[in-house]
Amino acid sequence: MQQKRELDQVYTNRVLLNGQLDTPKWWAPTVATLGVVVVIGLIVIGVMINKGLGLTGLARPVYWGLFITTFVFWVGISHAGIMISAILRLTQAEWRRPVTRAAELLTVFSLLTALVFPLIHAGRPWRIAYWILPYDVARGIYPNIRSPLIMDPVAISTYLTGSTLFLYVALLPDLGNLRDRTRGWQHALYTVLALGWRGNPRQWKMQTVGGILLSALMLPIFVSVHSIVSWDFAVASAVEGWHSTIFAPYFVIGAVHSGVSAVVTMMALMRWLWKWDDFIRPEHFDALARLLIVVATGWLGFTFLELIFALYGQDAPEIALREMQMFQWPWNMLFIIFLFTAYLIPVPMWLFKRVRTNIALMFWTSILVNVGMWLERFLIIVPGLARRTPFVYTWEAYRPSAVEWTIFVWSFAWVTFLMLLFSRFFPLVPLFEQKESQVFTDDMTIGRAKVPAIVREAD
Amino acid sequence: MASEAVHAEHHAPPPNVDADVISRELVATTTGASGRFKAFAWIFGILGIVGIIALVLKWIDQGDDSTKWGYVAALVSFLLSVTGGAPMVAMAPVLAKANWVRPVTRLAAIFSFGGVVTVIMLIPLVSLLPPLVHEGAVRRTIWFQAPDYSPHVWSTIGLLLLLFTGIMLFYSAALPDFGHMRDHSTGWRQGLGRRLARGWVGSDSQWRTLRMRIGMFGTFYFLILVFVQFLITSDFGQSVVPGWRDAIFPMYHTISSFQAGVAGLVIALYFSRKYMKLEKYVHLDAFWSLGRLLFALTLLWVYFFYSSFIVFWYGRSANDVAFVELFIKGPMMYAFIVGVALIWFVPWWILIWNRVRRGTTGMVIGSFIILIGLLLDRIRIFVPAWSIPQDQIHSKWLKVIPDTYYPNVFDVLILIGGISLMISILMLMTRVIPVLSVWQVQEFNLLARPIRYIKGHATLVAKPD
Amino acid sequence: MTTETFGQRSWGMVVDVDKCIGCQACVIACQVENNIPLNTQDKVERARSISWIRVERYWEGDFPDTKARFIPIMCQHCGNAPCEPVCPVYATYHNAEGMNVQVYNRCVGTRYCANGCPYIVRFFNYWEPVWPESLRNHLNPDVTIRSRGIMEKCSFCVHRVRRTTRNARAEGREVLDGEVQTACSTACPTSALNFGDFNDPNSKVSKMKADQRHYTLLDQFATDPNVIYLAKIDADKKVGAGEAASHG
Repeated sequence: MQQKRELDQVYTNRVLLNGQLDTPKWWAPTVATLGVVVVIGLIVIGVMINKGLGLTGLARPVYWGLFITTFVFWVGISHAGIMISAILRLTQAEWRRPVTRAAELLTVFSLLTALVFPLIHAGRPWRIAYWILPYDVARGIYPNIRSPLIMDPVAISTYLTGSTLFLYVALLPDLGNLRDRTRGWQHALYTVLALGWRGNPRQWKMQTVGGILLSALMLPIFVSVHSIVSWDFAVASAVEGWHSTIFAPYFVIGAVHSGVSAVVTMMALMRWLWKWDDFIRPEHFDALARLLIVVATGWLGFTFLELIFALYGQDAPEIALREMQMFQWPWNMLFIIFLFTAYLIPVPMWLFKRVRTNIALMFWTSILVNVGMWLERFLIIVPGLARRTPFVYTWEAYRPSAVEWTIFVWSFAWVTFLMLLFSRFFPLVPLFEQKESQVFTDDMTIGRAKVPAIVREAD
Repeated sequence: MASEAVHAEHHAPPPNVDADVISRELVATTTGASGRFKAFAWIFGILGIVGIIALVLKWIDQGDDSTKWGYVAALVSFLLSVTGGAPMVAMAPVLAKANWVRPVTRLAAIFSFGGVVTVIMLIPLVSLLPPLVHEGAVRRTIWFQAPDYSPHVWSTIGLLLLLFTGIMLFYSAALPDFGHMRDHSTGWRQGLGRRLARGWVGSDSQWRTLRMRIGMFGTFYFLILVFVQFLITSDFGQSVVPGWRDAIFPMYHTISSFQAGVAGLVIALYFSRKYMKLEKYVHLDAFWSLGRLLFALTLLWVYFFYSSFIVFWYGRSANDVAFVELFIKGPMMYAFIVGVALIWFVPWWILIWNRVRRGTTGMVIGSFIILIGLLLDRIRIFVPAWSIPQDQIHSKWLKVIPDTYYPNVFDVLILIGGISLMISILMLMTRVIPVLSVWQVQEFNLLARPIRYIKGHATLVAKPD
Repeated sequence: MTTETFGQRSWGMVVDVDKCIGCQACVIACQVENNIPLNTQDKVERARSISWIRVERYWEGDFPDTKARFIPIMCQHCGNAPCEPVCPVYATYHNAEGMNVQVYNRCVGTRYCANGCPYIVRFFNYWEPVWPESLRNHLNPDVTIRSRGIMEKCSFCVHRVRRTTRNARAEGREVLDGEVQTACSTACPTSALNFGDFNDPNSKVSKMKADQRHYTLLDQFATDPNVIYLAKIDADKKVGAGEAASHG
């Protein structure tokens, strides 16, 4: 799987640092365009907060719509980072190396974006910002920790803190590298950020142990964050299609599916935009696609279980909801699109090695997956609300307004904008991991075959 | 990597161990059982027979009252969990090309044979399970319109198919070892090896076919296992409790079955290593990796349990309250408290220490505790479920919580007997085939090589595709 | 006579569906009493109209045997309310007198409570409420005006309850049965809506509750509501759980 490529340190430094030392020509126009979209989105958000949520398409009984769907979507994407950098680090998979930093970065920025949505979807965001914090205890007014909406920010902010720390710890050696190669204000910036990194054995040991500890500590958070988000829905017994015990692992595995696909998209873009063909190679896509097949099939199993047990109780309202979701317009169209884009098109394609190593195909199928996964969240959240309880009197449709769509697009522009901004100052592929892999891998001759091998501790 | 600095154990057998020596020594483990081994095999066997007799007697005495069979249902679930989950450890890491799993693959595959006991215990349950259709109405079931003979036929077929697939998984991986037995055993074992080896000589195409078969049966086994767990938990668990709708219960059962399988494997590995003097081939690395897996699965247990609990606890509708009352606060409160402590809380604090996971004693103690906790957990679920009288199970909601049903003498004998019979089958299998997979150990011998690395020593491990 | 103390009452309503004629006087009275924002055509079309009490009308049967069924539905003030545990800022909670209260100045408008309510009786202010100049003088000074972003619902006219109990305490006596009336029960021409104290065994609502026609809405959610419904009596059907109950 891993071919032994002779990539010496000088070459590695020059190529992987080309974003910082030698900014590509496309960078500034792209960031400017995205910046314009971001500003437009922020203005729209401001107008909406000023005028009221009447600007959205929300209505009785669909009180949660596009904003919450997109919130869950971005939390889902954020699960890529831990999956790839923590779990693959702990299992010592070599093929993670080019991907870890970009994945952790995606985690941090998508969490930041996700946090915006619960704020702006509330009726009075200027109060929710501080009322979810337990500061007014002198008057005996505490936030309600029984509410999943309080457990959410706790979990997400913990995840955000941990991921940022993780990102920073992994960034330190490269910051040292950059400090040594720059002058002027850049040099000053990297000097401050590098925290005196010298690369001596003691520092390396601390950095590695720190990374391992953080990986292990982040794993329970990784599982619990999306579970807590799923419990926003699962604990509500009044909404058809929500009150299911399987939501927690279902959402988590869906998040891994969605997140790892987003990482694939990102990796393909990185390879093309910065010309890192030597470092982001087809075998990395191959390994990621194989992981995705397993995860996606597990996700499909959970979807199937959720559906079976929804119909299992033979509750007329629940059955009516599923019929609406799968057979009535416009839900039936969305349902078909969701099934095909999230699983039925990508996964059978990925069964073929030629597809797995074709980077363009991997790019497009991973985008398809995320379209499908966004639709999945939409189909979980909105139909149940629209069709709630036996009171036919209160059944309504939900039509998202232009304001909601604008903010939806803004979130994508915002994440990409942040990632590109980051890439100007920090390398997206960890140099030290790359160099480490050169040292830790070798070729072994067994009989007449030459087999790639890895160095492990002995005694 | 510095991360491996915390490791202090070998990753490979000592260098220059001749492949022939490996073969001879491991095949020799099938003979020469000590007196203690024989005594225990006899004891477990006799207890197993007693259990079967108690089962027959219970059938004669109480074969018309399904409310008395909760403990047998719990035993079926327990045995399915342990014997079904263990082969997964044989299969999954092999597909992921992990090396630490090599010493345990054979033991894990042997657990499938314990599935025979599961099938035996299922027989009375199948006949006692009430039909799905009652006065024209179909009660809640995964079979929707309740085609004929469901779920009785499907559950039995599923369990038999699982047994069959597990045996085939075992056999496809054991083929080269039967060849070793043909070459190095004597007596009836040699004849058995010759017949079952089916002309194994270790040619390229035979190896390719072997790997393909393992991959195929392994994947198939995983799918069948998940499906059978889904069937048994739904038909023998959820369907007999009115108003219980729990989408996560099959996965909860599956995850705790993996946990039980790993725990059972650790115990089996401990005893094999110690009493068959296999320290040279089974390194503490296996316990270290199994320990991490067991720890992770223990945490996953509490995650899956809590996922279902929080939804019912918050929901507070009539069905939700009934669930909490039936399985947690009501007749099974003490079983719940002790069960949760033993399946999660105590093992967590044992397995969390590196020193424990690097050794064997702490690991085997933790595994025993987990298995006892699992048995209590299954009792907690299946005994109240089966205690509900048959005339009530077709209603929409659970109206009356049944009283605690304590085990009678038959139940106790059946529980002890079923588990003993499973153990005795495992012990007998180790007389038939080497308890360590010879070809896997030989293969690792080829793939791992000690090298000098900068100023120290390291092992170079090949990772072929 | 003992003095009125807080916490001894259990306020509730009994709705006699048999007497309801669907006139919607209760809806109008509630709108006026509680300063509910105007339900313009645009709002109604977009399903954002706010009516703390609504009269649902269902048609049954085919012509010429068609029947119209009316049922007034307001906040059920559930003892086991699904809206209460989910509010992140404790803006809704159950007080000691059996009412589910909404604290307007604490509400931040996450609308989680509305998702939890199976009766769909919680309403959200999507816009800042605006009254034309001519209507501003009729606003009830006892009731807060809610700004945009705040949830609201039937409060059992808690301001009337407070005023009456305050007066009773000032006069050193207990509140009499029937002294506190909600706006809807005052306006109802047929006395289909009755408000009172379930803790008082002699009150009108306690006696009505004992009627064999009584039922509650959506039992499967086990919300323990404080609004009891009395089923409609059909001349050609057996007395028992009525049509509205069959929807639940």
